[in-house]
Amino acid sequence: MDVGARHAVPVLTPVASRLVPYPEEFNMRIAHYLNQFFGGIGAEEHAGKGLEVRDSAVGPGRLLESLLGNDARIVLTLVCGDNYAVEHQEEITASVMAKVRQANVDLFVAGPCFDAGRYGMAAGALCRAVQAELSISAVTAMSEENPGVDLYRDALYIIDSGTTIANMRNVLDKMARLSRKLVTKEPIGLPHEEGYLRRGWLRDQLVEKKAATRLVDMLLAKMNGEPFDSEMPPTAFAPIPMPAGVKNLSRAKVMLITDGGLVPRGNPDKIEGTAATRWGSYSIEGRDDLRAEDYEVSHGGYDTRFVQEDPDRLVPLDALREMEKNGVIGKLHNEFISTCGRSNPLSNTRRLGREMAEKIKRDGVDAVILTST
Amino acid sequence: MQLSLAHHPISEIQFGVPARLEGAVLIVDPATLRRMILEDESIVSVDFDIARPGERCRAGPIFDVIEPRAKAPGCGADFPGILGAPITAGIGTTHVLTGAAVSVLAEISPDPTRSATGRVLEMSGAPVEASEYSSLQHLIVIPHTKPGLPRQTLEKAYRLAGIRVAVELARSAWNHLPVDLQTFEPVGPGEKGRDGLARVAYVGQIFSRQRKPAVDEPILYGANTDGMLPVMLHPDEWLDGAVVPSLHSWFGGTETYFYQNHPIILELYQRHHAREINFVGTVATIAGSDNFDRERHCRAAANLVKWNLNADGVVLSKYGGGLPHADLAETARLLEGMGIKTSVMVSDVSRDRRVESALLFNVPEVDAIVYNGGNGKQWQVPRVDRVIAATPEFVELLTGPMTIEASNIVGVTNQQGASRMRAMVY
Repeated sequence: MDVGARHAVPVLTPVASRLVPYPEEFNMRIAHYLNQFFGGIGAEEHAGKGLEVRDSAVGPGRLLESLLGNDARIVLTLVCGDNYAVEHQEEITASVMAKVRQANVDLFVAGPCFDAGRYGMAAGALCRAVQAELSISAVTAMSEENPGVDLYRDALYIIDSGTTIANMRNVLDKMARLSRKLVTKEPIGLPHEEGYLRRGWLRDQLVEKKAATRLVDMLLAKMNGEPFDSEMPPTAFAPIPMPAGVKNLSRAKVMLITDGGLVPRGNPDKIEGTAATRWGSYSIEGRDDLRAEDYEVSHGGYDTRFVQEDPDRLVPLDALREMEKNGVIGKLHNEFISTCGRSNPLSNTRRLGREMAEKIKRDGVDAVILTST
Repeated sequence: MQLSLAHHPISEIQFGVPARLEGAVLIVDPATLRRMILEDESIVSVDFDIARPGERCRAGPIFDVIEPRAKAPGCGADFPGILGAPITAGIGTTHVLTGAAVSVLAEISPDPTRSATGRVLEMSGAPVEASEYSSLQHLIVIPHTKPGLPRQTLEKAYRLAGIRVAVELARSAWNHLPVDLQTFEPVGPGEKGRDGLARVAYVGQIFSRQRKPAVDEPILYGANTDGMLPVMLHPDEWLDGAVVPSLHSWFGGTETYFYQNHPIILELYQRHHAREINFVGTVATIAGSDNFDRERHCRAAANLVKWNLNADGVVLSKYGGGLPHADLAETARLLEGMGIKTSVMVSDVSRDRRVESALLFNVPEVDAIVYNGGNGKQWQVPRVDRVIAATPEFVELLTGPMTIEASNIVGVTNQQGASRMRAMVY
């Protein structure tokens, strides 16, 4: 469902009158971002409208303001069409940032966006920019399926809005509570306690039950068909398409890469033996064999004695030279790349892989043999 | 199997002559212990110290923590296969100095690239609530080894010194009536009278072939596990000295103390006694060095559970670093494929503290996971009055004040199920 397309301008219970008038000084000044639909401009036919600015709460902002409490006020509402926001992201971000900076706010709120994809993507991008560059707390809300979630969940608190606009009040209530904590720098609880979507961060905490008890509890619940909470959600990764095969290996330039930590003696690039942040490329020009005395291994995760005895066991230069001579491969690239794969987080290995791939492309390599340990 | 643990609670350790047990006070004669330890020619001298709960005292690096236990005369061998013939552990009476510990210090850090201090015993301050070891009365053994020994030789000397002292101390209780006699209800695949209860087993890794064990490295009944396939053990064998950590495990969070007081086995016993489950037995296994090795071990372990123990559910734990997670998950996957439910316990290896880096396996069937934390927690610990260490360098390093990683405090990131430090997903 796309909120922008299917519905008319929402009718929200207006907050008719405050019990207490606004105080002179507001302790919490808020900027609020809405799409054209929730901002009261119109439905999908207005999705191309550019950024408009109001100096008070609009639509769901009114309820949000009242839920935030008497000392809070939305001093800036930014409304933009969904298409315009996505198609002109840089421009919108720049103008929103300028206006938010000028308004001197304590909090930036976007949405709730429910499952409106373009709205969610714009809200996420703006929240992240405001939070990162202006150091202003930001909160948004989306349904778990909103494409904005996967893009921004690690950077932002995104309240789980579900897909039903009827839950608006409940969603705004959670946004208000979390916002307050963020602004007053109170500790933020677990996702299910606060209602935000899991950000994917790990934090250590002492718990009452020791691991053995939790382990047996979980098994018994599972055996009894009762619900149980695994302490770690399953890992899912986007599939990586299989690259096309090498058309003609006898003409290909082949390179050897290893994550087994083989480095020239002295480890010139100081590649760490655990969670390496660096990689190195080392010449094998004119050599048919890697000699033990020239190399060492920077890797603490396997028994390295056999590689130390004969580095060709990890980086099989001898075998590849043979294949080069016999015409099985066209040419062996004159350098090999090495890093250490031990306990290396993905946030790190993605970068290492990208950097290596850039070099490999630059060097005109056609195929890589990756040896791991 | 009929193991009886004769508990003698200890509230204080003192030095004195002769060595004896006086009520809850254990009197230790350093001269006797010294003579015994110096029989090992790798050790040139040895010091002893005492660390008490609540004392502003810090000791490290800790090589191992051992509960003082001794078989009653005629009841079998202490640490069979290491100190005596490899006869079956877990039979007859074992005297236990409950509340006491023998903690052996090392002269080096296990892995200076990861931790300068090694694992530290904290007796006061914030970390004490996270480690059971902080509430024990410790006799600290500080061996000084001959210079220039290969690492595994000095580690073996530490191991032997620790368990010898632990046994010798507990022999003080031989002629005393225990305060409590703990016995266990029979466990086995064919125990009668437990029809209808869920049949639950434990599969525990005791070694990882990421490293080849030393020829004389004692792990299971004194054997180094080389060439071993998974083997069924009675739970009482674990509790009674059949298994000790490998020489290289003092960084990973496996100590002799928690084999003797194995949290998973004791938990299963508790449920067994409450008639919540039918505890049918355990399998000791190891993590492989390559895919063939892994396949052999995982299949053999799963087959033992299925065809010998006939279990309906299994709890699994790992040993060592990252790689053993693969063996753990594969064994669980095979078991699930046989219709046997599983839950597994893993350690935090995420480094960047992100969920996406947390699991080293991606197996949909392995969906019940206990996740130990400790990698992302630090404590500011104050300067202490007393540091117990083997070298002046370590005394200086450990005096504080300093920031210490939770994983560097012994007992916090334990892999045997004792940890209460959990990595929560935010």
